[in-house]
Amino acid sequence: MSAAPTTPELDLSWLDLYDDPTSAEPTKKGLTLDAIDIGDYASAEDLPRDMTPRLRGAASRENAHRMGLTYQTKHDVWADQCRSLYEEAIQRQWSSARDIPWDTLTELPDEKERAICQVATMLTEVEFIAGDVPGQWLPHISGDEFEVGLFLMTQIMDEARHTDVFRKRALANGGGLLQQGAGLGLRNLIEAQDFTEMSVLMHVQAEGFVQSMFRMGELIGPTQADKRIFRMAAQDESRHLAFGVMHLKHILSETPERREEIHHYLDKAEERSAGGGSGDVTFPPVFESLCILLGGGKDRFDEGVAKFLLLRRRQVKEYLHRLEVAGLGDRSERLGPALAQYAN
Amino acid sequence: MARDGAATEGPITAEMRAAAEALGWDDGLLDRALDYGYSPRTLVSALGTKLAPSQAKSFLDREPLKPDLSWMDAPTEWGVRAEQADPEMGLTVGDILVGSYGEIPELWTDRTEIARGSNPQEGQEDMGYTIFEKAVVWADSVSDLYERAIRDRWAPATDLGWRSLEALPDDIEHAICQVMTEHSERAYAEATVLGRWLPEVSYGYLEMKLFMGSVIYDLARHAEAFRKRALSNGGGLGLQAPTDLIRGASEARTYPELMAYLFVQDSAFLTFFRHAGDIAQNQLERDLYALVASDRERLMEYHVDRFDAFLKAMPDRRLEQQRYLAKAEVRLAREWDDPAVREPLLLLLGGSRDNAAEGEAALHALRRRQVEEYLGHLDSVGFIRSRLHSGLAAYLEDPEEASA
Repeated sequence: MSAAPTTPELDLSWLDLYDDPTSAEPTKKGLTLDAIDIGDYASAEDLPRDMTPRLRGAASRENAHRMGLTYQTKHDVWADQCRSLYEEAIQRQWSSARDIPWDTLTELPDEKERAICQVATMLTEVEFIAGDVPGQWLPHISGDEFEVGLFLMTQIMDEARHTDVFRKRALANGGGLLQQGAGLGLRNLIEAQDFTEMSVLMHVQAEGFVQSMFRMGELIGPTQADKRIFRMAAQDESRHLAFGVMHLKHILSETPERREEIHHYLDKAEERSAGGGSGDVTFPPVFESLCILLGGGKDRFDEGVAKFLLLRRRQVKEYLHRLEVAGLGDRSERLGPALAQYAN
Repeated sequence: MARDGAATEGPITAEMRAAAEALGWDDGLLDRALDYGYSPRTLVSALGTKLAPSQAKSFLDREPLKPDLSWMDAPTEWGVRAEQADPEMGLTVGDILVGSYGEIPELWTDRTEIARGSNPQEGQEDMGYTIFEKAVVWADSVSDLYERAIRDRWAPATDLGWRSLEALPDDIEHAICQVMTEHSERAYAEATVLGRWLPEVSYGYLEMKLFMGSVIYDLARHAEAFRKRALSNGGGLGLQAPTDLIRGASEARTYPELMAYLFVQDSAFLTFFRHAGDIAQNQLERDLYALVASDRERLMEYHVDRFDAFLKAMPDRRLEQQRYLAKAEVRLAREWDDPAVREPLLLLLGGSRDNAAEGEAALHALRRRQVEEYLGHLDSVGFIRSRLHSGLAAYLEDPEEASA
């Protein structure tokens, strides 16, 4: 027979922890993370820190386990506005099942269906790793910066949806998946050994390139459903990109001595792939399918090439602009040759 | 053929020539491009992109690129047209499990990033995945669970009645805050543990990863919502949650170990949230617990389905699971005895610190339900717990009988 549960005397010492009564006020946007960033619970650089699962503001347990190494300085992971980006992510979730007008898909000429399916094949692959990378970093973020962790959790959800929506597109209109992507640059993202390295390569570079492509979705997408997919995905990528730019700005402001190190990560990534970690758009199956879609058919391939060059110019110009906003404007002077040709 | 600078209108208009000149393109480039076979429409497009002179030359001062197009003949299944099984749900992940794309391999052998069903590109890098067996991660319900998670999403900031909160007696408010502190941390920590496992699973089991992404997202919102409740009604955060249970999850060396361990915890938490209306002091808390319970139902459904499939596929690993369950049970029982876990519930169930005895009986009943439902979840997959930890088994006894 098992022992009966014991009924020890009440300790109640946990009741004595409330010397700062807190009543956060809802805003027009509801009760947001910004609204509860108040008093003793507010984010700060100089907090008593530990490596336990304790979230900022809770009282410490003396016997709490450490859970492995976490960053012990706020600036190593922080991005201003990460709280509002998180709230936006929650409010702007969408459903690939119901928010895409799948019934607008119409039979396309075979070459166009194959082209959009090839692009979708590449994108479902690229988005797949974009969900793994933030997952890998969650355990390294201190509970004192839990908002960063929450934001990355929304990114995992976003990337799941992107992986699924491009797969759905390939299988929804009489097509299928086609050739695996080039893979170049994708390993860069998962190989990162530092949060800033990861964020610069994934959020700023890779997602930036993807974002520039998605924003040309009106030209790429042959149907209303395709255009809508690109629009919705671009909206999500904007948040990830904003996080990366704000983090880079923060880290350069707080630790300007890391500038050359960050350039070095970009040097390596730009050498390795013309598309960074965004999937290599110069890989022939991707390049050719994009040119067919942009030009409007195989017989207008040249016109597609011209528009593809516009896409590349946009990707590179917007990449440099984002880096400039973050405080890395001198990147334009040392851009890798595969990208530099599009910078003028 | 008209030459740059010539006044005659032909395929190349004066406006085009002016634009090329303004961009600094080589004199005569437009004409040479035309001679190479580029269409005027392509030249207009090229001018529209404002290509730099060097780019324009490398693009147009040569024979047009001849696409290879061999990718169009990739030997994959073609002609797939997924249909919506339920228009209310839209085009679901389950709907695209068609033809060869719906075949989930028992063993996935590709170590690259390749999307299941696409044609492999030679020479790709190994991405470092470690999970290649369906039985380890798969549950047939994952596609449906994922779509339900997206359909049933909610937002803590706006879907709860924050303005409806009214002041509560200090002890009660602080007890709620302690419960919220605990569960905010537990949800966040579980999401971080699960996140770490995402890069281990290859695209062969994509649908399971999609679902796990939705679980992590759910847990994020739970962590957020509990914290918001703690900070919105004159209280604050209390003592951090005990760390034995979550530490055990992070110690798991394999995915089956992690899942068996979390089976215990997630079952116990689901039952807790299902019945947490008993400790709720207002409508906001009732709504919050109900929404959380609804999310956790999906997670538990995955646990049960995965465990069932795992045990059937790998019966030789049945005994091993007893160890992981035992490890989780001992830690769960220890945490249930922690004053900062137990006492807030006594106060909330009893109504005040003076009514702790009534709270004790109610808490015993809650714990009993948690243990019974946990065993019920195991029973549903034909798994008999060989020796339930005494700290949990004790709750299956009648409290009066036990104290006699």
